[in-house]
Amino acid sequence: MLYSDLKGRKLVDTASADTVGKVDGFLLDPTTRSVVALEFKKTSHGSVVAWSDLTAVGADAVTIGSATVLSDHDERQADLASKDGEVLKKRVLSDAGEDLGSVRDVDLDPETGALVELVVGSKKEQQSIAGSRLLGVGSYAVVVAAE
Amino acid sequence: MSRLMRTSEIAALPVVTIAGDDIAQVKDVVFSADGGAVVGFTLAGRGLLSGPLKDALAWGNVRGLGPDAVVVDGPELLEPVDGVLAAARSTGVSTGSGGNVLGDRVLTDSGTDLGKVSDVVIEYDTGAGSPGGPCDVVGYEIEASDALKASTSGNAKNTRLLLPLPDTLSVSSEHVMVPASAEGFVSHDLAGFGAAVQAFRSQLKGES
Repeated sequence: MLYSDLKGRKLVDTASADTVGKVDGFLLDPTTRSVVALEFKKTSHGSVVAWSDLTAVGADAVTIGSATVLSDHDERQADLASKDGEVLKKRVLSDAGEDLGSVRDVDLDPETGALVELVVGSKKEQQSIAGSRLLGVGSYAVVVAAE
Repeated sequence: MSRLMRTSEIAALPVVTIAGDDIAQVKDVVFSADGGAVVGFTLAGRGLLSGPLKDALAWGNVRGLGPDAVVVDGPELLEPVDGVLAAARSTGVSTGSGGNVLGDRVLTDSGTDLGKVSDVVIEYDTGAGSPGGPCDVVGYEIEASDALKASTSGNAKNTRLLLPLPDTLSVSSEHVMVPASAEGFVSHDLAGFGAAVQAFRSQLKGES
């Protein structure tokens, strides 16, 4: 599942059947190479739901059991949400010191939130980098292991 | 696999940790006293206004070096400048110029001036994960003298040539001495230079 397809998908509370938000971002933990939380906009309170609190990530909607799982960023989430933790559009550098382009999109496992692939480069020259090659995300670059 | 690089391309490269943070940028390349290897790099802070750092990076702590960055495992691998410079001095008995050869004249042992050193070409292993091997100085880019220009075919406009070096050489602040046979192995670009260095060095070994 590409993040570009997930972005804007509605968040539905299965208890009330109301739409309570829209997908607006993701927080990727480089140490586990998976998404730990999704960020939402147009919510009544809080903007973050931990991945483990999601009921499902479906083709048309993301569902939660109750609107109470929406919260504000905790400390770790705030770190990942900062500019340093941002992944999209960031420069990708191999650990051999080569600039591979910038992150265009990410492919996520809708079940676990695991990073499957980074989609890197321009539309014309696009390459996929396996999520398992991710080493770190920092102020300067997303660093991946060289092939 | 090994990679060839001009040291001028390394200056100002960012030093990036595998966590993705840029912690410094390369200020100068530190050569061993005999000029035959790269020992490490002195560093400056990132940004236009930041000055030199008190820490330097030894070659042994480099994880990867490429056209766009120097990659290290973590910020704790930087060490005080003095340590790296001392390591450079201890690498050779030469009373040389600390490996700074830019501007030196290249003279063959038969007394021909081949030109002025304008850049240094290094070769290192790009094996997976760790740098491991040394960072060898394998050649100089020289502004060819008239004598060398006359002896190399090819277009006359291209006066910058790559000259392979033997494993060991004599360097002073004035001259770099090379065997006369080096003249036969000059290249115009890095693409074929690795092979030229190999051919030149194996020919030298054959002679001795």
